[in-house]
Amino acid sequence: MIQFEHVDFTYEANSETPSLRDISFTVKTGECVLLAGASGCGKSTLLRLLNGLIPEFYPGERKGRVLIEGREISNQEIYDLVGRIGTVFQNPRAQFFNVDTTSELVFGCENLALPEEEIVKRLEKTVADFHMEKLMNRSIFELSGGEKQRIACASVATLHPEIILLDEPSANLDFEGTENLRQMLAAWKELGKTILIAEHRISYVWDIVDRVLYLEEGRLRADWHKEELVNFTEETCQKYGLRSLVRSSPMMFVTPEGYRLEQNTAVTKAVKEQADQIVLRDFSYTYRHGATFRVRELRLPRYKVTAIVGANGTGKTTFLECLSGIRKNKGKLYLAEGENAGQDAAENGLGRAYSGRRCQKLIFMVMQDPNHQLFTESVLDEVLVSMPEEDEDKARVILEEVDLAQYADRHPMSLSGGQKQRVAIACAIASKRPILLLDEPTSGLDRKHMLEVAELLKRLKEQGRTIITVTHDSEFIRICCDEVMELSEVSA
Amino acid sequence: MELQKSFLDPRTKLLLVFVEATLVLATAGGERLVVFRLAFTVLPFLLLLTAKCYSACIVGMLVLTVTEMLKYFVFQSSNGTLSFLLLMAITLITRFLPAYLMGVYVIRTTKVSEFKAAMERMHVPDELTIPMCVMFRFFPTVREEGTSIRAAMKMRGIGLGGGKASEMLEYRVVPMISCSAKIGEELSASALTRGLGKNRKRTNICKIGFGVADYIVMVVVMVMIIYWMAGYFGSVG
Amino acid sequence: MNSQGNNSKLNGRDLINVGIYSAIYFVIVMAFAMTGLIPIFLMLLSSMVAFFGGIPFMLFLTKVKKPGMIFIMSVIMGVLVFVTGMTYMPVIVSVITGIIAELVYRSGSYQSMSKAILTAGVFPLWAVGNYLPLFLQREQYFAQRESYGQEYADAVMRLTPNWMMIVLVLATFLCGILGGLLGRFLLKKHFKKAGIV
Repeated sequence: MIQFEHVDFTYEANSETPSLRDISFTVKTGECVLLAGASGCGKSTLLRLLNGLIPEFYPGERKGRVLIEGREISNQEIYDLVGRIGTVFQNPRAQFFNVDTTSELVFGCENLALPEEEIVKRLEKTVADFHMEKLMNRSIFELSGGEKQRIACASVATLHPEIILLDEPSANLDFEGTENLRQMLAAWKELGKTILIAEHRISYVWDIVDRVLYLEEGRLRADWHKEELVNFTEETCQKYGLRSLVRSSPMMFVTPEGYRLEQNTAVTKAVKEQADQIVLRDFSYTYRHGATFRVRELRLPRYKVTAIVGANGTGKTTFLECLSGIRKNKGKLYLAEGENAGQDAAENGLGRAYSGRRCQKLIFMVMQDPNHQLFTESVLDEVLVSMPEEDEDKARVILEEVDLAQYADRHPMSLSGGQKQRVAIACAIASKRPILLLDEPTSGLDRKHMLEVAELLKRLKEQGRTIITVTHDSEFIRICCDEVMELSEVSA
Repeated sequence: MELQKSFLDPRTKLLLVFVEATLVLATAGGERLVVFRLAFTVLPFLLLLTAKCYSACIVGMLVLTVTEMLKYFVFQSSNGTLSFLLLMAITLITRFLPAYLMGVYVIRTTKVSEFKAAMERMHVPDELTIPMCVMFRFFPTVREEGTSIRAAMKMRGIGLGGGKASEMLEYRVVPMISCSAKIGEELSASALTRGLGKNRKRTNICKIGFGVADYIVMVVVMVMIIYWMAGYFGSVG
Repeated sequence: MNSQGNNSKLNGRDLINVGIYSAIYFVIVMAFAMTGLIPIFLMLLSSMVAFFGGIPFMLFLTKVKKPGMIFIMSVIMGVLVFVTGMTYMPVIVSVITGIIAELVYRSGSYQSMSKAILTAGVFPLWAVGNYLPLFLQREQYFAQRESYGQEYADAVMRLTPNWMMIVLVLATFLCGILGGLLGRFLLKKHFKKAGIV
């Protein structure tokens, strides 16, 4: 049993606003609870109070009591909770201590100095329970995000904790990955574990959880039980700012007649006017392990938002990286440009051809991890360096447009994930490049921020930009994408 | 790709890295040990084959062959500055390559937990073992971050033309440190919740121990040292 | 920080931090060290290590609140160069310079900025250990490196009369201070604002 009694918490690093205010609730043993609410509502803070990362890792001021099985845990160290409480974190790249999967699974048990035979027994059982024989003894650097998250769950499972905490575990997963995660949660529930899960993408857990605790600005606003949950509609969710309940694969949007890009084949999406299309030819990339990724010809609608969907490992990100010139490429891009098209347009009938550096100059890519593309010391500077010619007034207008005006002087790295994403988009606007690529722009975003990105993309489209986005977010596709294209592997 | 199991104990591998570095890279022992040096130049290639790292092995072979050919055909007929530069390049490659490949072999075939077990057997305190484990785990991450940041800069067209040194530091080194440090925070949070650093004896389920191959390596190294010393004292006496 | 109590023993988090910053430090330092095979750069090596290493090192110091962390990082550097074939001397040097660096930062109770910069000057002296064989075992050093060619040996010889050692120590120290200042500048400009400190 977990009890929170009038808990307040304020981080030392952010001492003006308390992160949790007067939180009281009780979770019974064996219950599965979803913590929902917008970004920054205090979900993660709540979990950190339980696993001991507060106060040891994140110092701050706490009032009230947190009890597990009737015993106050506030004065215990992280170590005392190991083996009783297990935590799965958000970023699959960052939570591994070992380089190989097997060692990772037994890592916790080794630290607890369990006897060898016991560890081996637990390892075998966990591997069998979660059907992950194929993932054993591999390097974690070669696993997909979904596979990494399964390893993370399993490495918690070997510790046999009574309580399992998950902090936005699906943020970096595709549809299939979340389905796998769902199965893991169901298995844990079956075993009678107490589960607390903080999550924005609620659809995949909605029918597993017994209860939902809804937080808003650090306060517990609602405590819905199973009976109420079944009556939830899309409208109710929207009212509370929650993401959609519809559990659907993004592949669903691909029409039966098919807009599928199979590698090595040519794909054409019929468009009325030739001027409304972008043609890509011969974009290819050879991976280090030998496999080749190749797009022979692809016609994409111009001035539209096109979503690229597809299972993990089909090369969606690689495709974007080829287009944007991050991966060196000999591919050509054709743009119909009216009378300016010049000589080559007459020859190929497709428009002006761009390749190499000239092609790069047309394209801006917003990477999945925006941390990698933010360099300067303020948001304003970030936009300024992206401009062909620096112009502070224009830069401020752009920041206004992406709703970041009040953050102009902040360091980009200190912003939240969603805000960083928008800084990157602001840079894209500032660069005046007509084609915008986005890689999973909504991962880890709550409904409000997802809608903001969607609105922004629609506006950019109206301003005459072409947008291509890789995504696995069905709700996002429904709201703002005009075309959906599936990228699949070479058919045999 | 499944991780390859090595038939050598991590401690033996450590010894090999060291021998490779002193004998081949720093050419300790001079002319007297030339046979051993040759053997240890070839050894990393064989080890890579046993670990099925074919591409690293083949590329290494090619580079070495080309270098040797340069040495015999081009170097002979060059002189002055060119010969100096050429010599530099040739020595650099022929000496660094085997040591580098040995490093590749060790990193490809040694698990963090094996390394940890080996250090524990050698009674190295945790205060040194844990940071070193984290460091080896973290090298690829730092590199990944560096690569991504470089790619992003290229895409944004920053720092390609007329990049100043200060900008290069700010735009490349600083983000690399920031991103790595952030990942590091998450890494330690996750390791701590799984009990790392709990001041108690740990267990380790990975089995390490010396086998025939390890003893052969040790005997060879031993013989080499005796032979070397004999020459040393022989010439003095 | 009070919540951690006044336990001055290193815990898991401290040890992980040492590992992480050692990795960052070593990657940055190695990127510049690779030029050390050209004679003139060989002499500049320790200074470059000191200067560029100053950036991650200053960030590392903000994480150091207990005795031992600087010392461990220093020893790791010594061990790394030992394994890459630079004889045992760097290890001994790194132990000594590690202790000194530790004491310097400790004298500022692990929070004084001026002491931090001084520490950034002392710490990289481990890199000077690489040169010791060059001075103490001159004959052997060149005997080992004869295949670099006579020109290389001559160039190095010319550049390394014995008083050069003192120059090297001073230069490294000064570059360390400069690197520390640069590190402090970047701390203020980036890392603090970015919320990493």
